[in-house]
Amino acid sequence: MASRLPPVVADNDIEVECLVKAFYDTRRKVPVVAVENASFSVRRGEFLSICGPSGCGKSTILRVLAGLEQQTLGEFRVAGDGRNPAMVFQESSLFPWLNVQDNVAYGLALRGVRKRERRERVQPLLAMAGLAEWTHAYPHQLSGGMKQRASVARALADDEAGVLLMDEPFGALDEQTRVGLQQELLRIWERERKTVVFITHSIEEALTLSDRVLVMSARPGRIISEIDVPFERPRDAIELRREQLFGELSFRIWDLLRAEHGPTENAVDA
Amino acid sequence: MTTTIDGGSGQLEPSAKHSNESSAPVDVAGLVGPSKGDRLVQIAGVLSPVMIVLLWELFSRIGVLDARFFPPPSSITGEFWDLLKSGSLIEDSWATLRRIVIGMVIGGVPAIALGLVLGVWKRGRQVITPIFTALYPVPKIAIFPLMLLIFGFGEASKYAIVAIVVFFFIFFNTLTGVLQVPKIYLDVARNANASRLQLFRTVALPGALPGIFTGVRLSVGVAFVVMAAVEFVGAQNGLGFLIWSAWQTFAVDSMYVGLVVISVLGYLCLVVVDLVEKFTAPWADR
Repeated sequence: MASRLPPVVADNDIEVECLVKAFYDTRRKVPVVAVENASFSVRRGEFLSICGPSGCGKSTILRVLAGLEQQTLGEFRVAGDGRNPAMVFQESSLFPWLNVQDNVAYGLALRGVRKRERRERVQPLLAMAGLAEWTHAYPHQLSGGMKQRASVARALADDEAGVLLMDEPFGALDEQTRVGLQQELLRIWERERKTVVFITHSIEEALTLSDRVLVMSARPGRIISEIDVPFERPRDAIELRREQLFGELSFRIWDLLRAEHGPTENAVDA
Repeated sequence: MTTTIDGGSGQLEPSAKHSNESSAPVDVAGLVGPSKGDRLVQIAGVLSPVMIVLLWELFSRIGVLDARFFPPPSSITGEFWDLLKSGSLIEDSWATLRRIVIGMVIGGVPAIALGLVLGVWKRGRQVITPIFTALYPVPKIAIFPLMLLIFGFGEASKYAIVAIVVFFFIFFNTLTGVLQVPKIYLDVARNANASRLQLFRTVALPGALPGIFTGVRLSVGVAFVVMAAVEFVGAQNGLGFLIWSAWQTFAVDSMYVGLVVISVLGYLCLVVVDLVEKFTAPWADR
């Protein structure tokens, strides 16, 4: 991509500068700014979450980084050889026509890795994702949580640069499955120490997983704050919620988002 | 997920009401399989077609049914064996089947290819699809005389008419199949740096397979209809010819044999298509 920054020697795996993404709304016949001037960087091995209400353009930023959309203005750089960083998608994105093993090995297959080597490389990932017994199952035979674990395994299998993009991967799951998968993601991240950009609308999820949270506001989509999450690792997704700081940080983010909405209706009445 | 929450001192004791040990097993002895009445209905459902055949035989013999139009099944069966032994039934069945299979291949292969290409190539689709949309309502059987004019009275005209009929069904179903592939699968492939050709091979083609099979299944049905009609007037063999010449010679038994055999052949073709689909697209559990 011509507009990517030249590779620089730095500890940052991702650098985004003044990224703007605008759409033309064909129905209302007006241009819409989805992302306004986003600038941030992600250190190597850092877990960064971008948190905000729906429509704030957080997914758009990720789609640009994933090579799925072209930015309108601005530049970005992602570590690696110019291939797109692997992405874990929002909803069930496994190909229904491939079994679990072949889904996870999809990126390897595209790169021409031989079948036997593919299977060898994928097997430990399947075991890590708790899917060893489901190697030959088709996606329609899996539960929602298992599908997303397979999606994470697929992204890990195809990841050369050590950068993972995750677009609300647990958003469609029920709360218990969701916390369970957060636990597993924490465990996997502890082991692999990938650079992760994680999109979520859940403040709790962002605090549970990340080293740093970028808070975005909607219309226009803008990064309004950056919050460091100081919890020690390894973390436990459930124990973390007992900590006083967890509550304080989450209220800080709530206040930021509330300030964006302006005074509430009650306040106007009073 | 095997995470267990450590009880700790603040944990509440589970109340006896919900603990597993104290609850008695639920009595499910009263739940049994289908009732006697249900089973009778099932048996009646299997037997009812057989009953009709028996009644037909009976009424035809005692004269309630006019045996000239509805000969007893036993006499149709006798005619079936005669035609089978003489070899003419095999010859006619083979002629019809061969025309349908060859015609379907000639029409189906380009239909799948064009449907796939236009499915992923938007500009081409916008320019070329209207041609086929405009031609679609033409009743295909009506152009058989034209086919006779162009290809003559031989086999070519029969292949051509089946190919044309089949082309439309398979083309439109393939195209729809590609267009209905969820966008997220294309995103996955593009994120994994798939080339255009890889996108086509790993997403568009497997995604369109269920649509292609729908087209083939519809085509089989229509191909038999068209072939029967074509053989009425434009052939010297085939099951359609058998039925038509049975009318001309008033051999009603043979006519029924032709009807039954053509139905069974059509059914078997559908079974083969289903088997092929199970093999090539095992994920699409219909």
